[in-house]
Amino acid sequence: MKRPRARRAAALPRLTRRGIALVVVGLVLLVVTLWFDLRDVMLLAFIGIALPLVAMLYVASGTPRFHVLRAFAPPVVSAGGATGVTLTVQNLGKRAFDGASWRDTAPEGLTTPAEAVLPALGAREHLLPQGDDTARLEYRMRTSRRGAFDVGPLRVTTTDPFGLARVTRDVGGPHELIVTPTVTALDPVIGTAAAVDGVMHGLQRRTHPNSDEFIAREYRHGDPLRRVHWPATARRGELMVRDEEQRGDPEARLILDTTLSGRRDRGALRIGDDPRHAGFELAVEVAASVGVHLLERGFRLRGDRLDDPARGPLSDASPDGYRMPGGDRALLEDLARLESPVGTRRHASGDVALPHSGGTDARMPGYAVLVDPDLAEAQHLVALRPSLAPAVAFVVSSVSSKVIDVLEEADWRIVPVRRASDLPDAWARAGAVKAGDEPPRVRTARGAAHAR
Amino acid sequence: MRADPTLATGQRAMPTVQRAMLAGATFLLVMVTTSALGTLIEGSGWWWLCAFIAACLVSVGLGLRALRTPPALVPLLQVGALILLLTLVFGGRSSFALIVPTGETFARFAELFAGAERTIQQQSVPAISVPPLLFALAVGVGAIVIVADALVQDARRPALAAIPVLVPIFIPGFLIEDGAEVIVLLFAGAAFLLLLRLDVRVRRRADLAHRDDDEDAPVVHAPRRVPIGSTIGATLGVGVAGLVAAAVLTASTPSISQSLLLGSDQSTTLFSRGVSPFIDLGRDLRRPDAVPAFTYTARDGDRPYFTLLTLDRFEGEVWGVTDRAVDSENTVDRMPRPIGLDPAVETAEHPVEVTVGDLRTVWLPVPYPTASVEDLRGSWFWDRESLTVRSVDASTAGQRYVANRLVATPTADQLRDADLLGSGQFQEYRALPDERPQIIRDTALAIAGGAQTPYDAAVAIQDHLRSSDFSYSVDAPVEEGYDGGGFDVIANFLEVKSGYCVHFASTMAVLAREVGIPSRISIGYTAGSPTDERVENVTVVEVDSHDLHAWPELFFPGVGWVPFEPTPGRGTVPSYTRPDAAQSPLSPFGPSTSTPQTGRPDLDPERGLSAGPGASAPDPVAAWTRVAALVIAALAIALAPALIRIGQRWSRRRRVRHGPGRAQAAWDEVRATARDLSAGGLETETPRAFAAHIAERPAFDGDAGAFLAELRNAVERERYGPPAPSGAAAGGEAGLSTDEILRAMHEVRAALGADAGASARLRARFLPASLIGRARGRARPTPAGA
Repeated sequence: MKRPRARRAAALPRLTRRGIALVVVGLVLLVVTLWFDLRDVMLLAFIGIALPLVAMLYVASGTPRFHVLRAFAPPVVSAGGATGVTLTVQNLGKRAFDGASWRDTAPEGLTTPAEAVLPALGAREHLLPQGDDTARLEYRMRTSRRGAFDVGPLRVTTTDPFGLARVTRDVGGPHELIVTPTVTALDPVIGTAAAVDGVMHGLQRRTHPNSDEFIAREYRHGDPLRRVHWPATARRGELMVRDEEQRGDPEARLILDTTLSGRRDRGALRIGDDPRHAGFELAVEVAASVGVHLLERGFRLRGDRLDDPARGPLSDASPDGYRMPGGDRALLEDLARLESPVGTRRHASGDVALPHSGGTDARMPGYAVLVDPDLAEAQHLVALRPSLAPAVAFVVSSVSSKVIDVLEEADWRIVPVRRASDLPDAWARAGAVKAGDEPPRVRTARGAAHAR
Repeated sequence: MRADPTLATGQRAMPTVQRAMLAGATFLLVMVTTSALGTLIEGSGWWWLCAFIAACLVSVGLGLRALRTPPALVPLLQVGALILLLTLVFGGRSSFALIVPTGETFARFAELFAGAERTIQQQSVPAISVPPLLFALAVGVGAIVIVADALVQDARRPALAAIPVLVPIFIPGFLIEDGAEVIVLLFAGAAFLLLLRLDVRVRRRADLAHRDDDEDAPVVHAPRRVPIGSTIGATLGVGVAGLVAAAVLTASTPSISQSLLLGSDQSTTLFSRGVSPFIDLGRDLRRPDAVPAFTYTARDGDRPYFTLLTLDRFEGEVWGVTDRAVDSENTVDRMPRPIGLDPAVETAEHPVEVTVGDLRTVWLPVPYPTASVEDLRGSWFWDRESLTVRSVDASTAGQRYVANRLVATPTADQLRDADLLGSGQFQEYRALPDERPQIIRDTALAIAGGAQTPYDAAVAIQDHLRSSDFSYSVDAPVEEGYDGGGFDVIANFLEVKSGYCVHFASTMAVLAREVGIPSRISIGYTAGSPTDERVENVTVVEVDSHDLHAWPELFFPGVGWVPFEPTPGRGTVPSYTRPDAAQSPLSPFGPSTSTPQTGRPDLDPERGLSAGPGASAPDPVAAWTRVAALVIAALAIALAPALIRIGQRWSRRRRVRHGPGRAQAAWDEVRATARDLSAGGLETETPRAFAAHIAERPAFDGDAGAFLAELRNAVERERYGPPAPSGAAAGGEAGLSTDEILRAMHEVRAALGADAGASARLRARFLPASLIGRARGRARPTPAGA
């Protein structure tokens, strides 16, 4: 609403306070000189009036031409962090350029410094460039929320040599800055430890038939006996186990509620004038923390949207899920780019297309982050439940109790998350749930997987 | 607030070099504008003096700022430096170690100041730069420099420096028709632009060089080699285009005649544009009281007439003085031989020691002719034509001087034998308006028609006027309604044949011109009456207002101007005007004929003759205006702190409404109020400490305490909380709305006021203590403009 008007007004030359003062003094002088018929001082009166107008004409004429490059270091920054911005401004004009100041523009949520002086730039150097036509501007930009932001354009205010008039122009284009959701470190011991060794693709194992050649390491307390590497044990005379965790390819599933199709209006918690959906932002943060944690633990991560868990990847950019190395950054970037849901439903509530139940070789850990799903989406989760173990649903406060009932009925573990700082506790609770109630089930699953 | 960023960094410390550039531009501007006074003042010495003063003051300011003197102190110290400089230049021997003023120095300054006032009233254009005028110029330029310097260097609003420097530019416009010279004005404009340009440059330099402590502040890497002339073209282009546009606009603006707006009242008291003394002696004549004018002792027994001024221009209605500028070369220590006196004629000098009493005019009573005048105070200059002596900065009151009277000794025969004048010579002394009453021609023809020589004609005219037909009367002309000296008056006088010296003198002068003899009227004193007192065995002669007189002087080639005495019963008839005594020496007012005067008219030297329009008796209206102006000025000075404080409050309210720092602005106001009321409010206190401090006061028990807490919370949130998102409403989700802030501010202030005593409230209103700490509290950067 505000920006277009501001931009339009900015393109017009305006008088500075000094210019206004000069015009006012000139007008007063003019009245005085006419009154007393002082033709001599009238000259000064007209200087006071005419000079600011000439200055306005000057700044309005001659549009400067610039080439603006903007670089971020680091290029991806997590919300709440800061990134260094380097602007390279090159004068493309044939004449030297002086008397301007600059200010970078950015959407809300990013800080830009106050207006500063743009140093004089020489004329464009076609031959033998020495860099005298280029200035480098650096500043630190602080971020407060995740998202993909267009930083820019650079706003250059040109002032005439006497500081009487100025005109503000936008030069260069915007550059994108990714601000990823904040990642909360989760306790590595709890939660996934039990699941790691069991959930593996048997197929994967078969592609590595010569597991005998795996480097064996000595037995440590707690290693399952089935991993004892007997030939090596025989050779070494002590218990050796296969050191093959790294070679395993465990997969986990992360399902994020991106549509908020339940009760749209209720979830619209707003903090201050932040236009974003507070619950959704929390959910993104939970998903980011859990996802990064899983990736770091060696899982291959499949991210899905709740409204279409089978065919709806979180981002079209990574339809095959995420894996290390680099998977965490890709995940965070995709999460950063997630638009706040606008609440349009993708499909009718009654038509529940039960997804393919996976089939499958193995159960994998599944984590759902729910903001405000409707019952149809809850049914998706229920349908997925058999292929997931453990199945944990992080729910923010806006999830309706009906949905929670349905999920609990289907044996989803419900872990409520109220704010980001609760996340480590919630994670611990998710782990405790498995440690307490689930072990038999997990063991069964493991057994099934092992049987293959 | 950020809208004007190039100008928003006023408070940063500047390197001395850049300060020096600004100071140089300020100096240039002041001196260029001061030179606009060049059309008013003779010579150029005064300009160099002003330049010296200005340069010293600018350097002092520069030095003080380089030493990081608090900005509020610099102008005060500059004023001190100005006093030292004035002592150096004007203090003379009264100073201690050349520059340290003593009480005597200040007395001298007061004297110079009074003299400056007089000289400004008395001098015509171009004025002579006498010491009092120099003093006034030095003080004025010093004040302008100090103000301009503070505006440029501390307030960082160089555009406003235009206002003080306009003063010298305005003055010529009010005094002379052409006003200041165009070239000077153009240069002044250019100097002003130079100042603006340098300021912009200095600001940009300072901003570029400035490294903020804030780690988020931008770092700018400029190109290594900046094109030096990058903006010279633009600067010249914009500047010249502006000046040319202004010149074209000025030339094309029609002049609104001021008579349309103001009537034709052109009377000026500053540097009056020439003197036109309409000598209305009639009014003075009816004053009964005689006032002593002066006394004199003449070693050689002279009893001369004393001339004050000479009227040489007759315009039909009125006699006047040809407006001749005072020539600064014409100092009274050496005066020339009178015009027309043949160099062969032997002369002698007779000293006449004069002691002036209450007479207060700018014209010095001196005998005609006089060779030199000694021991005068003030600056006195003689006029080439009339050899009258006038002052530009002093008055005659209390003067003691020696006038060396030039005594020539031609005889009446020489007068008779004098050459006839060529038709072109002394034209202005023979000029008469064409339209004159017939009776004047007739009378002239009847009296002098048969005269052989001009001298005979002159004697005939004098004899005619002194005949028994004419009678001396002070009152008759008024009763008959023909007072004055114009044609109609003369015509009337020739019929009624009754009048006083003005009528006789002007009639003789007109009749003399009618027959072709150059004539003029001198006004002054007759020889006075001797007293019993003797000084060094010389009789003291007293001259009082009854001796005031007017007489004609006629010109004879080779002899010069010769006085006549047509008024019966007044003065002495010069012997040479009696043909039977033709052999007696030409000593018009010689001692031999000096007798105590009888039938002296009652004349009051204080009126009409005193000093032209500037010194007329105080008009009651003018006096009231002056009193009113003084009262207004005094009120303005007395109310200035209160007004400044009100303005401050107003601007803070505005900040509360429009930001930034709404709560802070309200808090500042509350704290300032507390300081005004001596209820705490130190800069060093945190909002919480301050609030706790004043909340103990009894008035804060009720609502006011709650409002105070609200306001305190708001200001704390603003100071320490996360910055409100730009574009967000004031205070965000938990802050106060503008109206609430204003309301709370009002309530807290009211409570503070209710708590204080009446005297404290009065003091808070008229002498707000919070203003004093302000200059020091400017450290936090505030956006500056203009």
